[in-house]
Amino acid sequence: MVTRRRVLMTGVAALAMSAVSYGSVFAQANPAEVKVALIAPMSGPWARQGELMKKGAELAIKDINAAGGVEKLGGAKMKLMIFDAGDTTEKAKNAAQRMVSQEPDLVGVSGAWLSSFTLSVSEVTERAELPMVTLSYSDQITSRGFKYIFQMPPTGVKQAEDALPALMEVAQKATGKKPTKTGIVSDNTASSVSFAKPMREGGLKAMGIDLLFDETFTPPLADATALIQQARSKRPEFLIMLGTSVPDDKLMLEKVNEFNLGGGRMPIISSGAHIGAPELLKNIGPDLLEGVMSVVGNWGAKGQEEIIQRFKTETGEPWMTQDSISAYGDMWLFKQALEDAGKADKKAVGEALRKMDTTEGPAKYYPGGHIKFDEAGHNVNAKLIIVQWQGGEPKPIYPPESALAEPVWPTN
Amino acid sequence: MGRGTSFKRSAGILAALSAVYLLLVFIVPDQYYQLMLTLVAIWAVMGISWNVLSGYSGLVSFGHAAFFGLGAYTVALSLLHFGLTPWIGIPLAGVVGAIAGVLVGLPTFRLRGHYFALAMLAYPLALLYVFEWLGYQEVALPMHRENPAAFMQFSDGRIYSVIALVLLIVAILISRWIETTRFGMALLAIKQNELAAEAAGIETRKWKLKAIAISGAIAGAIGGFYAVILIVVTPASVFSMLTSAQALIMALFGGIGTVWGPVIGAAILIPLSETLHAELGNVLPGIQGVVFGVAIVLVILLAPEGIFWKVRDLLGRDDKDQKPGDVETVFSDPGELIERPEIMSGRTILEVRDLSKNFGGLKALQNVSFKVPEGAVVGIIGPNGAGKTTLFNLLNGFVTPSTGEVTLEGQNLIGLQPSGVCKLGVGRTFQVARPFARLSVLDNVLVGAYVRADDDETAFRHAREALALVGMEADADRPAGGLPSKEQRLMELARALAGKPKILFLDEILAGLGSSEINDVIVVLRKLTESGITILIIEHTMQAMLRLADHFIVLDHGALLGEGKPRDMMRDPKVIEAYLGKRWRERA
Repeated sequence: MVTRRRVLMTGVAALAMSAVSYGSVFAQANPAEVKVALIAPMSGPWARQGELMKKGAELAIKDINAAGGVEKLGGAKMKLMIFDAGDTTEKAKNAAQRMVSQEPDLVGVSGAWLSSFTLSVSEVTERAELPMVTLSYSDQITSRGFKYIFQMPPTGVKQAEDALPALMEVAQKATGKKPTKTGIVSDNTASSVSFAKPMREGGLKAMGIDLLFDETFTPPLADATALIQQARSKRPEFLIMLGTSVPDDKLMLEKVNEFNLGGGRMPIISSGAHIGAPELLKNIGPDLLEGVMSVVGNWGAKGQEEIIQRFKTETGEPWMTQDSISAYGDMWLFKQALEDAGKADKKAVGEALRKMDTTEGPAKYYPGGHIKFDEAGHNVNAKLIIVQWQGGEPKPIYPPESALAEPVWPTN
Repeated sequence: MGRGTSFKRSAGILAALSAVYLLLVFIVPDQYYQLMLTLVAIWAVMGISWNVLSGYSGLVSFGHAAFFGLGAYTVALSLLHFGLTPWIGIPLAGVVGAIAGVLVGLPTFRLRGHYFALAMLAYPLALLYVFEWLGYQEVALPMHRENPAAFMQFSDGRIYSVIALVLLIVAILISRWIETTRFGMALLAIKQNELAAEAAGIETRKWKLKAIAISGAIAGAIGGFYAVILIVVTPASVFSMLTSAQALIMALFGGIGTVWGPVIGAAILIPLSETLHAELGNVLPGIQGVVFGVAIVLVILLAPEGIFWKVRDLLGRDDKDQKPGDVETVFSDPGELIERPEIMSGRTILEVRDLSKNFGGLKALQNVSFKVPEGAVVGIIGPNGAGKTTLFNLLNGFVTPSTGEVTLEGQNLIGLQPSGVCKLGVGRTFQVARPFARLSVLDNVLVGAYVRADDDETAFRHAREALALVGMEADADRPAGGLPSKEQRLMELARALAGKPKILFLDEILAGLGSSEINDVIVVLRKLTESGITILIIEHTMQAMLRLADHFIVLDHGALLGEGKPRDMMRDPKVIEAYLGKRWRERA
């Protein structure tokens, strides 16, 4: 007698319950997007680097969302916002101010490529308490007591200190002995000067290396004969060649080749990712570049072959430069911090980054394979990478855990 | 329309502008717009700095980034190395800018025109490399977050906007002060014609150095503030060509030679470029530069002097087209000259002895001697190339003679700057009249009045008196640009008279005038002689000369051919031969 009514009641209840649960499922399937930003030069002379960063970041966002988004936030999708830092510090600051003012729900930002831009942008993000992850390696970035800046590669000074021992390790491994004679040809831009500084100030001597000559030039170079002539007459066992622009690099490498020192006969070591840019290959050609090495903060390396392959096919880029792989990693880093924080809140994400200590997940995308920040925001176990042009492609050769190729060092 | 009222009116405009700016600062939704407002003020100040030198004096500078950058580095480095707060650092940057201005000006003012502009270009480019070489490729301002107010590191963007406004007001006041005093007059005169300015008693070098010092100070101070805003200083961001160009563009766009020009330019261009960058930068990177460039090109094509002047011309078209004062009816035919033989035996005011000038092998003037008595009208005649203008240039200091002496009331004139000669009481007009087209007739005359006036009031009185002397009181407020040629000549005469000269040099003041106009000018000149002024005049029109001069000095091939009463000289066979050739002498 009662059954009919009860059945009805139960049915209504079940329906209501299922509606509720359906509702919650629905809500869970569409949690609010989590916004992260990339601020980098999208116009002006450095637009190409910004584009490479953007391509890396976009691929990462795609991968993250395809893998289910941020689990702890109910599979929330991540959304990438792009801000153009332009070609001046003023434009970069403007873009940063616009970013924090008009996108208050951002949880993290990566950028801003040029270290002077990063210095200016990070001051804005610091005030907004927005975590900023950067590939810029100026020491000044992490020496101002900021809490929301995270510097992924070793700082400029540390890179310069580490570069020489790393290089010696490469030479030792390839030839069985350490070189003892070198020479420096450097332009006078910020990155070259800071890279060469510790070497000039006793670093070389401490390694038992004689500095046969030390030439500084102001870009743009009109003729490299006098500079490279030094190398021909004094015959260093390797040449430290620090240019920062493609035309200068080209002039010097052409002269090296003309003096019959090219193709790896005289090992050349440079600094910075510009020497591994795809444009350089188009401009200079694989023959001139063969054997040239460069010290960089990051590179598409061992363990990332699958990502590199997909990056190549999706973007048409010939390989993954430090700009692309870092931006790729930065997005995964934010994803991890969101998982740790459990909420889409910039302060919580900052806190999660400060607490992070991992060799898993995003750590795979940074040389050294370990993410842990000190108080100032240095990634304490960060390592540098040495890439070498081999067969028309810059390949990571150091450290061994990142190397995709064996170093080539002439034995004569 | 006195100066006082115009200054008051500009104070009113300034107050209104400040109110609007402050209102905007407090109603815009976020820090991004506050930053934009701050940058508007910064670039307006930079434009004003450029305008103070280049807008007023016409010496185009492509190198204002030098002062801007030095100011920025002054603030950044003094904070970094000595912990000096920007509150002191910014004024210090102004001092550094001023010193740099003088150091740059001393050698560079030797150049003129394009050469000056190009030389200025070199300074920031050189400094860029110097600062790279010094190892200052990237200087970040150290943060003092524990004490933000003491180190100008506020987290509230509105405070920066207010500071920027204060700097802008200071710059506008300085600029207005220059515009409305003899300083501005001197610079304008230099812009129009540096030689004429010197001849009008303006010490051009001194004023130019003052202008570049003030300009440098403004640029240095605002560069210092820019460093505070951007937190980081790199040589490329402060010494780049773009920085100099930005200053120039603000002024060009808004209006050159007026303080409001750079303000208008910055108020339009800075938000425009930033908005274009923000809106289009991600979609079509670089397109903002194209749009921005096209906008500037259009303005330069449509309003070549800048928006301010274009708008003023459009607004003022009706009331500026006043009818000229009815000068013609005032004067009648001058009639024949009343001879005054006694005047030639009066006291000597100007004495020339053995004056010679060689230009290489060319003897432009050889051993010319003569005396000019007080109150006389002495005409210098001679065919083309006789050395008449060279003689004038020697007398008023444009050219230094090879040998010889010139004394004015016993005082030596040789070796003095033209402005010095003018100060002693020599006025001069030029063959080609060059009015300051944008200024009123009164202001044009005023330029010449300052040499003998200690204050603005006296200068004004002298200028009005001079206008009255030439019968142009009614035209005092007309813009000089539209004057017919006779009025231009009279105005120039008034400018020379405003300096209360003891002797007046008139260089072909009648050239290019019609016969009735010549009569009018002659009437004015006669009136002047009656008032006792001494005149030395060069003229081609012989008939006119006969009706003016008490005495003729005839030059030919740089040498004195003869002197005497005009009628006698006209009949002198040597004179006829020099003018007309041998055949005519035989007929005469």
